[in-house]
Amino acid sequence: MDEIVMAASIVLVLLGTFSAILGRDPFDKLISLSVMIAGIFPFIVDRGYLDVAAALALIAPLSTIFILMVCQRKVPS
Amino acid sequence: MEDQVPVVAGVHMIAIYVCAVIAVYAALRVIIERNTMRKLPFLNVVSFAITGIIALLLPHPLTILAAAAFFVGSTFESNAIASTWSGGMKRNG
Repeated sequence: MDEIVMAASIVLVLLGTFSAILGRDPFDKLISLSVMIAGIFPFIVDRGYLDVAAALALIAPLSTIFILMVCQRKVPS
Repeated sequence: MEDQVPVVAGVHMIAIYVCAVIAVYAALRVIIERNTMRKLPFLNVVSFAITGIIALLLPHPLTILAAAAFFVGSTFESNAIASTWSGGMKRNG
């Protein structure tokens, strides 16, 4: 992998991680977690594990759905 | 046989550089934005840029499958976050 692409992926992972740690709203935390997961994909593809990347791309939204079921916004009725 | 392999170097790398710059800029915008609803389009931009990086990174026929799977998964994820944030389905009218 080229150095610039690797640096961009590292920046994405670090930004997502620290924003997920420091955020207050659960939805902001989920969005930051999504940025972090997007940042690790070039490292998986660069090694040639393309089947792992495809499987992870389809499994990772399922974990987001399960967290969303926990932190659904309470609408005032 | 060697010249049949696509050479990915030099000026041909400019597309993947553009994708990396767009990914970093959209991630910064995601972090800086205060409103949650304004974060979600930039999350989609991050997903598109990472899809471009995945598709351009390796000259392998299975790469487009991984890129398509990531595109579908990330779009599904951000749509799920958006629809849950906006209240989901309204029950009983």
